[in-house]
Amino acid sequence: MVALLGPSGSGKSTFLNVLGGLVPPTSGEVIIKDYRISDMTENELCLFRREHLGFIFQSYNLISTMNAIENVALALTFAGVKKEIRLKRAKEALEIVGLVDRMEHKPSELSGGQQQRVSIARALVNHPEIILADEPTGNLDSKTSSDIMEMITKLNREEKQTFVIVTHDPEAAKYCTKVIHMRDGLIERWEDQR
Amino acid sequence: MNKQELLRLSWENLWRMKFRTILTIIGVVIGTASIIVMVSIGNGAQKSITDELSGAGSVTTIQVYKDIGSTGMTMMAGGKKEDEKILNDDALKDLKRIDGVVAVTPVVNLSGATVDYDREQYGVSLMGVDYNVMEDMRYNTTSGKKPGANDHNSVILGKEVLSSYTLSSTGAQAQENTVAPEDLIGQNISLVISKTNANGDEETRTEKVKVTGVLESTGGSEDYSIIADYKLVTDLNQWQTGTKVNVKKQGYSEALVTVEDSSVVNTVTAQIEDFGFTVFSMQQILESMGSVFQMLQILLGGIGGVALLVACIGIVNTMTMSIYERTKEIGIMKVIGASISDIRNMFIAESTMIGLIGGIVGIIISFILSILINLIAGLFITTGNVTISYITPGLVVFALLFSAIVGLLSGVRPAIKAANLSSLDAIRSE
Repeated sequence: MVALLGPSGSGKSTFLNVLGGLVPPTSGEVIIKDYRISDMTENELCLFRREHLGFIFQSYNLISTMNAIENVALALTFAGVKKEIRLKRAKEALEIVGLVDRMEHKPSELSGGQQQRVSIARALVNHPEIILADEPTGNLDSKTSSDIMEMITKLNREEKQTFVIVTHDPEAAKYCTKVIHMRDGLIERWEDQR
Repeated sequence: MNKQELLRLSWENLWRMKFRTILTIIGVVIGTASIIVMVSIGNGAQKSITDELSGAGSVTTIQVYKDIGSTGMTMMAGGKKEDEKILNDDALKDLKRIDGVVAVTPVVNLSGATVDYDREQYGVSLMGVDYNVMEDMRYNTTSGKKPGANDHNSVILGKEVLSSYTLSSTGAQAQENTVAPEDLIGQNISLVISKTNANGDEETRTEKVKVTGVLESTGGSEDYSIIADYKLVTDLNQWQTGTKVNVKKQGYSEALVTVEDSSVVNTVTAQIEDFGFTVFSMQQILESMGSVFQMLQILLGGIGGVALLVACIGIVNTMTMSIYERTKEIGIMKVIGASISDIRNMFIAESTMIGLIGGIVGIIISFILSILINLIAGLFITTGNVTISYITPGLVVFALLFSAIVGLLSGVRPAIKAANLSSLDAIRSE
């Protein structure tokens, strides 16, 4: 569980997007698990993300016309998973984030914290090795923020899921085992908090 | 992503903007319906005319004449061509031997005869055919029966035979005739032929004949003729013209060849032409008319096609709008694992659905319009069974495929645009 900490404009989000293959690096290369993703085509990147990466965004980015379980299951739809299995796994993921009782609700009927939990469930559902989270607590109040961070910590411990979290909130960074401080596009220092 | 899921997702997306989708579909409906109705009117005109012309017997009957082309040439040359083919009994035997031919008869025509019946006079033409082959010819009677080989004084009447007056003994002008040909079955009628003799006086000759039946409508000249025995008509002809035709030397002026099936008409026609005769069949007319009607249909379909083109622009517009609205969603889908082809196919499926739904509704509406057109036309046109608009199964299939393809093609460009959106830019857009 790694936090990228730094003031805005320090390049932490850009770093995360490069990691996720959403933007190509202008120079150098990105290697994740022996995959040289900086050389992949757009289509290969889509497949790679589907298999190995999960994303959590500051603004949740749920699809407003779908309810919670459909949003979570959508990621599996693209992977060609059958409907029954899809719904079962989506439900399991929602159980992990504690939202089974809200699974028929549309995003607009959920609070910010609940929406973020749905988006965490969506990131979890295809069991990726790495989950990239861009300011997951950025839109949430401090109480909800700590709930979300505790959940992420628990997932990291119990599901052995790697999280890379971008944040400018030192409170959120406290939950992480490693903190990378960034400034003006450069890594300032590493910090091991274990 | 499997196809079923793709279709389900596209279907759900389609109905998120119900009003816009319905408007777009209406565009396709109008386009499809206008093509179908336009072409169906072309079809209807063709069907009415071909049905009229291709009565039961006429499509299997071939008319054979002396070679008109060579006669014209010899006339211009002022002499008789040696190898000119004569349509005599030997020639008829040759014709009979062609595969698929069931009956051959010489034909002699006589016009200007009148029928006296119930103090009225009706102008008719006589058509003499060989009664020995009458049974094999495709002349079906709607009522009564055909005369037998030896019923030389029996005749059958064409369907329209009594619809033309020449004179009325009561002095009345042409009026609604009250005598149907069927009324005359089993009765004797008088055939009156007149000529002007050498002294300039008018002579008439009357033949009593018995009506045995009424001919089914063929759409040809038979409808207005009385079919009689060849010998009788030849006899009357000779009396009227005062000259005897030497069949062996000069041949018959016309012969009718009946074939077993309309499918062999073309091959038989070709063989008869090889003998050196001029051939005329209803099939030839129908075929040449077919190409005219095809042109008409292409023209009418083209007019309808303009409406579909406009609908096509509507689909492109709707899909493009839809992509702008859903940019963020497309980005999300790409980030959570949708491939480029998933996104592309999703939008193409949506636009194809618009086309297909529009096509189906368009077909239903065109059937309704077609029925209405025929109903309204039926109010004004009372003679016969007129179809103004006729929708063929082929037209339905064509319209359905065409509208689906229009939908698909309209979706391709917007879909590619959607698929190529940068996921990061897309996800950041609001």
